[in-house]
Amino acid sequence: MKFSGVRYLLEQGVENIWKNRMMAFASFCVLLVSLLLVGTTVLAYQNISSIVGSVESQNEIIIYMQEDTDTDTLGRTETLLQEVPNVAEVRFYSKEEEYLALKERMADYDVLFDALGDDNPLVDSFRIKIQDITQMNKTISQIQQIDNILRINAPYEFVSFLTQLRTILSWVMGALIAAMVIVSMVIISNTTKASVYARREEIQIMKYVGATDAFIRVPFFIEGMITGFFAGCAALVITWLVYDALVRMIENQVTLLNVIGLGSIIHFNAIYQYAVLAYLLGGALISAAGSAFSTRKYINV
Amino acid sequence: MVELKDVSVTYSSGVDALEHVSLKINDGDFAFVVGASGAGKSTLIKLLLKEIEATSGSVTVNGYQLAALKKKQIPQLRRTIGIVFQDFRLISSMTVYENIAFVMRVIDAPPKTIRKRVPYVMRLVGLQEKAASYPRELSGGELQRVAIARALVNDPKLIIADEPTGNIDPELSYEIVDLLRTINMQGTTVMMVTHEHELVKRFGGRIINIDKGQIVFDDIMEGTDYEV
Repeated sequence: MKFSGVRYLLEQGVENIWKNRMMAFASFCVLLVSLLLVGTTVLAYQNISSIVGSVESQNEIIIYMQEDTDTDTLGRTETLLQEVPNVAEVRFYSKEEEYLALKERMADYDVLFDALGDDNPLVDSFRIKIQDITQMNKTISQIQQIDNILRINAPYEFVSFLTQLRTILSWVMGALIAAMVIVSMVIISNTTKASVYARREEIQIMKYVGATDAFIRVPFFIEGMITGFFAGCAALVITWLVYDALVRMIENQVTLLNVIGLGSIIHFNAIYQYAVLAYLLGGALISAAGSAFSTRKYINV
Repeated sequence: MVELKDVSVTYSSGVDALEHVSLKINDGDFAFVVGASGAGKSTLIKLLLKEIEATSGSVTVNGYQLAALKKKQIPQLRRTIGIVFQDFRLISSMTVYENIAFVMRVIDAPPKTIRKRVPYVMRLVGLQEKAASYPRELSGGELQRVAIARALVNDPKLIIADEPTGNIDPELSYEIVDLLRTINMQGTTVMMVTHEHELVKRFGGRIINIDKGQIVFDDIMEGTDYEV
């Protein structure tokens, strides 16, 4: 095809939006709502995931060492613990420090500590944080191989609850996102079908005068792409403004932040590249493909 | 050139639309195809445009063996045919000029050629003053002349006019047939499908009469107003 032909088809795509502005506006609105539905569901999932991740990261495994373990052994144990896969952080707590801290916490029970005299009933310990909480049992088994460990305290039940919660959330949100995508696709498909139906005669005339399928489809494709792109832009701006306002509102709720953890809320600035890409590209491609495919029924003349 | 050899068309409903039709329209001919509603005229047009397939027999249009023609090649066949519909089928959102020019854009004609050819064809059908008008602003006769200009603009070998006078006044009908005759005299084959016997009698020429899917008459008749 000559350059003039390509230019004509591109111009037709743009012109068609204006000529069929009511249908184009309907497609724009449907796309906007669909993109917002899918976009907000994905954002909600990301945040819930992040909050669960934040709660997970606050959990520690405590490793109590045997009584009178010497300093060299403690140092070696610390190195060995750091070498265990999935261990993110290792902190040592000496029995002396822990005893003092305990005394401070239980200042009202002086009698109890007086009875103990100079004896320190506590043992040295390590507190570790792990990267992947679902692998906790495996990590603990590996830690158990290290010598001189008296006991390991791990939040088995809580971790099991969090793992289950994450699995359920993944399924529920995954299903919700899939449902939103399907609903959006059906609505978009019906709107583009209606838009194409309104111009079925035009398509048929083109076929009768010898237009190729590509010649008919390209303007619809361009038209869909432009409509989708602008719907994506609008969805991006709306999401950005509403999301930022929501984040600011949540960040002012100190009590809520204490529960979900500071930093577990995802800021839009951190994900805007993905949002721009998903909204603009998603909007443009879904709409373009929808428009082009919808012509199929009327193209077979 | 149009040639049908022992062609039959049976629709999936079981209706035999054409039965063992053999027909030849040579290059440069003008032929009226007449017949009552349901006689098989529309089926014949659909067949020539390869909108439907013949159940049996062979169809050749402008050198294309339709049975062997792949779907991708259909646009090539249709570019050798100009089609005029009873209901004009103009694109309402395009001006007269655009309605004619877009057919040339379909075949990727250079813009310079389009700018030269479209005004020429509009003059030929007497519509040069209406270039910027939209279909809704034209009369029935004018609409049909736009449709003829559109059919003519790519210089097709064959023009198929499907009841081109069906939606216009009798006086204007004669003008339309005159126009098609003029186009024919310049070398384009014209096949005009109509059920208006009066019109056919007046102009005369080759008349092909279809009845119940069969050709019952195919001969040249002298017109009351025209020499054949």
